[in-house]
Amino acid sequence: MKLKLFCLTFLALSLGAIQTQAAKIRVVTTLTDLADFTREIGGDHVNVFCLATGIEDTHGVPMKPSFVPLLNRADLVVLVGFDCEHAFLPALLEASRNPRIQIGKAGYVDCSQGITPVEVPKSTDHSEGDVHPYGNPHYMLDPVLAKTALQNICNALVATAPQFEADFTHNRDVYLARLDAKITEWQKEAAPLKGVKFVSYHEHWPYFAKRFGMDYIGTIELKPGIDPTPRHIEELIQEMKAEHVPIVAREPQFPEKVPALIAQQTGATLVKLPIMPGGVPHTDTYIEMMDYIIHTLVAAVQK
Amino acid sequence: MKLKTILGWSSALCLCALTAQAQETNQPADVEQRLKQMQETFEKRQQEMQEEFELKTAEQDAEIEALKKQLAGAATNPPALPPGGTSAAGTPSTNTVTLEQLKVLSDKVDQVAEAQKKTLMSEFNPAIGFVGETIFSQQSKGSPQNGTGYPGGFDVFQRSVELNATASIDPFAKGWVVINGSADASTGETSLDVEEAALQTTSLPGNLTLTAGQFFGEFGRLSYIHDHELPFVNRPLVLDQYIGGESKTPGMQASWLLPIEHYVNLTAGFGTQFGDSPDAVGSYRTFGAVNYFGRLSTYFDLSPNWQLECGASWLVNPDSGNVNAQLAPNGITTLTETRRLVLGGDLKLSYVPLRDNQFNSLTWGNEVLYSDNQYLATPTGGGSSFADTVGAWGMYSYLTYKWSRSWSGGFLFEFLQNDQDNSARTYGYSPYITWAISHWNQLRLQYTHTQPNAATGNVPNDAIYLQWTWIIGAHSHGWQAR
Repeated sequence: MKLKLFCLTFLALSLGAIQTQAAKIRVVTTLTDLADFTREIGGDHVNVFCLATGIEDTHGVPMKPSFVPLLNRADLVVLVGFDCEHAFLPALLEASRNPRIQIGKAGYVDCSQGITPVEVPKSTDHSEGDVHPYGNPHYMLDPVLAKTALQNICNALVATAPQFEADFTHNRDVYLARLDAKITEWQKEAAPLKGVKFVSYHEHWPYFAKRFGMDYIGTIELKPGIDPTPRHIEELIQEMKAEHVPIVAREPQFPEKVPALIAQQTGATLVKLPIMPGGVPHTDTYIEMMDYIIHTLVAAVQK
Repeated sequence: MKLKTILGWSSALCLCALTAQAQETNQPADVEQRLKQMQETFEKRQQEMQEEFELKTAEQDAEIEALKKQLAGAATNPPALPPGGTSAAGTPSTNTVTLEQLKVLSDKVDQVAEAQKKTLMSEFNPAIGFVGETIFSQQSKGSPQNGTGYPGGFDVFQRSVELNATASIDPFAKGWVVINGSADASTGETSLDVEEAALQTTSLPGNLTLTAGQFFGEFGRLSYIHDHELPFVNRPLVLDQYIGGESKTPGMQASWLLPIEHYVNLTAGFGTQFGDSPDAVGSYRTFGAVNYFGRLSTYFDLSPNWQLECGASWLVNPDSGNVNAQLAPNGITTLTETRRLVLGGDLKLSYVPLRDNQFNSLTWGNEVLYSDNQYLATPTGGGSSFADTVGAWGMYSYLTYKWSRSWSGGFLFEFLQNDQDNSARTYGYSPYITWAISHWNQLRLQYTHTQPNAATGNVPNDAIYLQWTWIIGAHSHGWQAR
C-alpha cells in the first residue's frame, strides 16, 4: 500500500515536471547572432541550438550528420536568409525529414523578411564568382537592420506559442531598449570612422559601412569565393595607396598571410573583425561582438 | 482498504492540482506587474510615436505645399527662354517638371510595377545544370592488357556531359533527372544514357523517405557518387567489378532516420538491376530474382574538428540468372552467375576544422567489400554443371589533404580479388593532386600504377590522367557529396 502511494505520488510529480519541460520550444539557428537573439526573446521558453559556433565562415559551416537529429526535432529553424546558408542548410533540411521546418512552412524563420538587400547582382553568372542571387546577406552587421531580424524571431515565437506572447514581447522590448541605447552609444563612438576607407577579405561589410559612414573600398578576394590572384593583389595595393586606405579587415576564418602582406605594403593597419558572436574571444553575444568591432576600428583609426 | 485507496488517489490528484496551481499561484501577481510595466512602456512609446508622427506630418505638409506652388508656377508661368531656345547657361532649361512629364513618368512607373507582378513562364523551369568532364590519359600498355577501360597510349575521353535538373513536384515530393552523354573508351562511340530519373518523397511521417524510379542505390560510400564528384579520377577497382561502377538501379528505396538523438540512418531497397550489369534478364522474373540492397550508417563527432562516419552495406540477388556467362580465367569452365551477394563496410575519418575548413582539411576514406557469388560452372570440355561459390574480397583506402582553398592532394591504395577467380589479384597505387580553380572548375592530375598477378591475365600498367571538370548552371551542395 505504501509502495502504491509512493508510486502515485511520484507519477503525479513527474507529470508536473514533464508538462513544464514539454512547453519549451526547440529552436535551431544557423548562426550565433540569431541564437543570441532567440535566447534573449525566448528566455525560459526556448531550447536553442546553433549549427555554427561563431568561428566558422558563414558559407563554410560543416554539414555534420549530428545536426540531423537536432533539426529533425526542431519546432523552428531560424536563418539569416538571402541564400547566406546555401552551402549547408538546404541539404541538412532535406536530411532532417522534418516537414515543419521546410521552406515556406511556419517553422522556417527567414530573418531577412522586411529587409531591402544591397548589392543585388544584375547577373548570377559564375564569372562574377559565388554571388548571392538575392543580394548581400550580411545585414546582421548593421545593428539597426538586426532589429528586423529580432522582430521576425519574436513573431515566429509568438506564432508558435501564443500563450507566452506577453513574455516574448516583454523580453523583446527589454532587449530592444538595451540595443537602442547601445546603437546610440556606437553611433557616437564611431564618429571617427566617418569617411574612413577600408578593405576586407570577403564582402561582409557593406551594411556596416553604410550605417557608420565608412567607405568600403573592396575585397581581397578577386570575386566572392574566389581567392585573390597576384594581379588582383597588386592592383588592390595600388588602389589602396592612391586612396590612402588605412584599414585592412581580416575576418578570423580567412588566412592571415595575404591581408598581412597588403597591410604591410600599404602601411594600413590590419585588424581582425568577427562577423558573428564567438568569432573572437569575449564576443559571446551580439552586443559584445558589435562593441568589439567598433572599438577595434576606432582604435585602428586613432592609432 | 477502500478508504486508503481513495486517500491515495485523492493525494495524487491534489498533487497534480497543486503542481499546476503552483505555476498559477504566482502568476496573477506576476501578470499584474508585467501588465503594469507593459502599460508604462506602451504609453511611453505611444507618446514618442505621436510626437514623431506630428513632426513628420508637419514636414510633409510643408513639402507638399512647396511642390504645389512649384507646379502651379510652372503651369502658369513657364520660364522665359533667351533667343535660341536655351537658358543663360547655354543649355536647354531642364529644371522645370511639367504636369505632362509627370504623367508620362507615372505611366512608366505603373508599367514597370505591373510587369513585376507578372509570372514569367520560365519561372516554372527546374534548376538546371551541366557538368562536363574530359579525361586525358596516357597508358603504358595497350587495351585490353592494361585492365582498364582506357585504350593504350594517348587518349582523350569525354567521360561525362551530364545534364541534371531538379525541382519540387508538389508539396509531397521532389524529382530529378540526370542524363549523361559519354563516349565509349574502347570504341569511341557516343551514347546518351539516363543515369537517374527519380522522385523522392518530402513529407512522409515517421522520418521516412521513399525514392522511386531510376537512381543510384545507397550502397557503401562511393558507389552512389557520380564520376565527376569522386575524390580521385577513376572509381575504385573493387566497386567497378563487384558493383558494376555506379550503383544505378531501377527500383525503390526507403530510408529511415532513427528517431533517436544519435544519427543513425537505415536504407533498404530493391531494383531489377544494380550497377551496370543487368541481372535476370529473361522472359520471366520472379521477386526472387530481384536485387535487394541496403545500408546502415552512423556518425560520431570525435571532437569539434574531427568526424567519423561508418556504415555497413549489403546487396543480394537470390537468383541473378545472369545470362552473360563468362569464361573463367582458368579457361576450363564457363561460369554463369546464379546468386549475387556482396557485403561491405565503410569508414571515413575527417579533420574538418570549424574555423578554416575551406582552406584546410584531411580525409581518410576506406571501404572493404566481400563478394560471395554463386555460379553454375560448366566445364568447357564437357561434363555436368555444378554449383560453385567464389568468395573474394577487395578494398580501397585513400587519404586526401587540403592545404588551401584551391589545392589538395592525396594517395589511393587499392586491392582486388577477382570475384570469379579469387586467385586473380590486382593492386593499384595512385597519387593525385587537385587544383580547384574555382567552385565550378577543377583540374586533377593522377598517376596510377596497376600491379596484377599472372592469374588475372593482365600485365602491370602505368597511367597518367589529367581530368578537367566544369559545371555551369545550377549547382547545389547535396547531402551525399558532403
